[in-house]
Amino acid sequence: MNQAEVTKLMSQLKIALKPRHRNLKTPLGPEGRLDKLRQTVTALIKYERIELFYNRADEARGYTERLVSDALRYGDTHKPMMEMADYWLLEKQLVHKLFKVLCPRFENENGSVTKMFNAPRVYPADPKRAYFKRVVLELKGNPYPTITPDSSYRNKNLIHNVLLDAAMKDFYAEKERQQQLLEQEQTLNSVEESKK
Amino acid sequence: MLRKICKVNLIQNNLINSQYVIFRHLSAKAELNEAAESQEKKKTKKPKKALTDMRFKYPEFLPQPDNRLRNPVLERIMRKDMLDRRTQINIPEFYVGSILKLTISDPHSQGKTNSFVGICIQRDRTGLYSKFALRNVIDHQGIEVMYDLYDPAILKIEVLKLEKRLDDKLIYLKDALPEYSTIDVNMEPEILAEGGNIPVNDTVVKMKPFPWMQKWERQGLKGVEDLDKHLNLWRKQQKVKHDSPWDKYDLMKEYRKTITEEEQSEIFSEIFNRINKINEQHKQKAKAARRTISKPQNIG
Repeated sequence: MNQAEVTKLMSQLKIALKPRHRNLKTPLGPEGRLDKLRQTVTALIKYERIELFYNRADEARGYTERLVSDALRYGDTHKPMMEMADYWLLEKQLVHKLFKVLCPRFENENGSVTKMFNAPRVYPADPKRAYFKRVVLELKGNPYPTITPDSSYRNKNLIHNVLLDAAMKDFYAEKERQQQLLEQEQTLNSVEESKK
Repeated sequence: MLRKICKVNLIQNNLINSQYVIFRHLSAKAELNEAAESQEKKKTKKPKKALTDMRFKYPEFLPQPDNRLRNPVLERIMRKDMLDRRTQINIPEFYVGSILKLTISDPHSQGKTNSFVGICIQRDRTGLYSKFALRNVIDHQGIEVMYDLYDPAILKIEVLKLEKRLDDKLIYLKDALPEYSTIDVNMEPEILAEGGNIPVNDTVVKMKPFPWMQKWERQGLKGVEDLDKHLNLWRKQQKVKHDSPWDKYDLMKEYRKTITEEEQSEIFSEIFNRINKINEQHKQKAKAARRTISKPQNIG
């Protein structure tokens, strides 16, 4: 019931968030948790699509979203922002990628910056981890082929296209029939004229 | 639907009168038209700075940030009730560190009032539950009173000195030397120029020797002298052990403690007009009250 902290302004993240953080398995406590998440965030920014267990992916997703939204808000001339990017991105060339590649990419992005998909469990599974959910976490606008089937191409098997095909067939058949009728009429007319 | 999702090319055929033919396959992906795009641009407009700056002045209008405890309908009703209460008494702008004089009706003796002068050491909770604590030292005895900000028993809130301090909470004044929380009960109000920045009082207080109420050395306080001279070796070691320098990098922890910019601007745009009107009315009332005081006339 305490008051909200008001010193810093931040924009709304467009992802579903748990009200409380998840603890990750680590002997190093909260510091170790952040270290794990740093590795994941770095990997996500570097490879743009990674496959991992659900818990860690869902946690790292929020941190990535926050990092990109802050980078968009403050830009690369803001000292605390640079310090934050320096902490979260373990490889320093990725700091450049964040500001020079990702910021222009997500400038006009209305929704979230990342996407998460369910992935199949590996089989045969490690018995300790057999029941862990696996997911694919990716940045939007990555260069890889899409995970969900792309429905933007012209698919002949879509129902409206099947119906359109049939309608087109009927139309040209009708057109041909009318043409034949016309020709017959013309021939008849010419015969009558010749008789006169 | 079909019309929206596809580009349709039409041919009018002479042979079959008034019949149209679609000859292109449809794609299942929606293509946004220009109108929709312009709408999206409107959506992403940045909130106004004047609105989001109200968060410092009226922090109690923002809901508490824990999503599990939030109730949007209740919040809205509370905001309306708070504004209604503000039409009755003038609740001025004040911060932790400001010196206030509060007059409250006495529940135990009808028609009588109590007043208390003190430094505001804490502002807590939100909505109609919002509270603040005043502290003063009277007859060598430290006294703290916690008041509800929207308590209907409160008759008057006066700001004697409007200023901020280096910390968000001054609870450490309990263990500081009494001179830092001793305030003259008959203090005259200091009037600040309108529209200027609120001055920040950067006094650094000296603490009393042990025992303390809290482990102040672990809280990263700015308005307190260097505490190491009070600590023994064990306590110094514990301070290092419990320090968490990585906390400032925990972006989501920070995020979960705040209300986002979009939501803030929505809340403050809802109350903006009415609260300005109420403030204006209180100003005019105060002006009128000042005018009625006239000079004593010499008779004879």
